[in-house]
Amino acid sequence: MTHVVSESCIQCKYTDCVDVCPVDCFREGPNFLTIDPDECIDCAVCIPECPVNAIYAEEDLPADQQHMTKVNAELALLPGWKSITKRKAPMADAEQWKDKTGKLSQLIR
Amino acid sequence: MTSPIDTTALVIGAGPVGLFQVFQLGLQGIHAHVIDALPHVGGQCAELYAGKPIYDIPGIPFCTGSELVERLQQQIAPFKPALHLGQQVSRIARQADQRLHISTDTGLTFLASSVFIAAGVGAFVPRRMVLDGLEAFDGTQVFAEHPAPARWAGLHLVVAGDGDTALQTCLDASAGPQAAASVTLLHRRDQFSATPELIAQMRQACADGRMRFVAGQPTGWHAEHGRLQALELLNPQGENEPLALDVLQTCLGLSPKLGPVAQWGLAMERKQLVVNTETFATSEPGIFAVGDINTYPGKKKLILCGFHEATLAAFGAVALLRPTEKALLQYTTTSTLLHQRLGIA
Repeated sequence: MTHVVSESCIQCKYTDCVDVCPVDCFREGPNFLTIDPDECIDCAVCIPECPVNAIYAEEDLPADQQHMTKVNAELALLPGWKSITKRKAPMADAEQWKDKTGKLSQLIR
Repeated sequence: MTSPIDTTALVIGAGPVGLFQVFQLGLQGIHAHVIDALPHVGGQCAELYAGKPIYDIPGIPFCTGSELVERLQQQIAPFKPALHLGQQVSRIARQADQRLHISTDTGLTFLASSVFIAAGVGAFVPRRMVLDGLEAFDGTQVFAEHPAPARWAGLHLVVAGDGDTALQTCLDASAGPQAAASVTLLHRRDQFSATPELIAQMRQACADGRMRFVAGQPTGWHAEHGRLQALELLNPQGENEPLALDVLQTCLGLSPKLGPVAQWGLAMERKQLVVNTETFATSEPGIFAVGDINTYPGKKKLILCGFHEATLAAFGAVALLRPTEKALLQYTTTSTLLHQRLGIA
C-alpha cells in the first residue's frame, strides 16, 4: 500500500505536503508532485496538509483517480524527478488551476 | 555530562501508545522513564489531532485527541513515570553487560534493561524557514526552536508565523525587562490561524505602536560581514522590499521526522521496525517497538492496535527481565497484586 497524489496537484504544486513527510518520499516534476511508493510508510500526515486535497491513501482514491497509483509509481522512477523535502512557493497560476479536474493531459513528465 | 539514569524500562515516545506502554509495564511492576521530542505528552494526538474527533477507541464512543491524552495520563498516574520531554534520543548502544546505553540530544544518558520504541512517525521538530543559505545563521540570529526572550532582549526582532505561538511571542517580546528593541510580525498575508483573542491583542498592540505587522513572502536575505542584516520580501503588491532585523524567530509549526531510528541497527522494512507479533520485540533483544513505527503482516496503524501491542510487549519484557518467574495472567478486576500496583488496594 502507499499514498497517492491525484490529478488535483497538476499545475499547482503547493508543496505543503513535503514539509511534513517523515520519510522524504515526495518527488518533484515540472508541474506535479509524486509519492515514491517504495518510500511511503502510509503515515497519512500529508493528507490534511494539501490545500487542494490532492492526496489519498491508495484504497481511498476516488473512482476517477485510480490510474494515479500507477502514474505516481512511474514518475517516481524518472531520473529527472528529484526528492523535494522543503516547501516552496506554489506554481504562479496555481490559483487558477486548483479547482480544475481532468488535468492529466497537462502533466509534464 | 551527568551520570546515566539507571532504569528497568525506557519508553521512547509519549504518544497514546507510549503512555499506554507505561500503564502495561506498571501493571507488571515495572517503572518506566519516558522521553519525547515535544515539550508535552500526547504525540500526534496533541500535535495533529488535539481538537479532532476519534471514534474508534474501545469503550469510548467519542473523544478528541487531547481528551484521550488526558485520560491516558490519569490512567498511568499511579505508576509515576519519569518524563523527559523536549529531547530526542540520538543514540542507542549495547554495553558489554547487555544493558542498553541511550543518549539524548540534550546530553541525558540512560542505562536501560529494556527499551520500548513508540516513536510513531518520528520526532516532531520545528519547521524552518526555507531560504537558500539562511541555515548559516541558525542558532546565532535565526531560531526555530521554542522561543526564548534572552535571544532578542534589546534587539530588533522579526517573528515569522501566523499561529498562537507566533502572536504570543510578539506580545511577550514587546514588553517587560527582556523586551526587544522592536517587534515585527511577518506572515505572507493579513490572515492568521491563531485564536481570535490573540489576533485581537496583536492588532491592539500594533495600534498602540508596541509592534507592527508586515505582510510578505521571504525570497532572500542580505548579510554584511557575516551578520544577517535583513530578509528580502515579496510584498502583496508584488514589489521587493527589505525587512531589517537582528534576530529572526520562526514559529512555523512542527513536522515529524523519522530521524535517527534508522541508525540504531534494528531490522527495518520500508523505514519501519520489524517485530515479532508474540512480544513485539525487534531484532535486538530487549528492544521492543509498538505503535505506528512497527510493521508486521496485517499491521494496521490504529491507536487501539498500538494498545494491544504495548500489552504484549510488557509481557514480553517480563519474560526477558524476570525469566525465572512464571508469567501469570491477572485481571485488574480481581487481582490484589494489581490493585496494590494501581494504588487502590
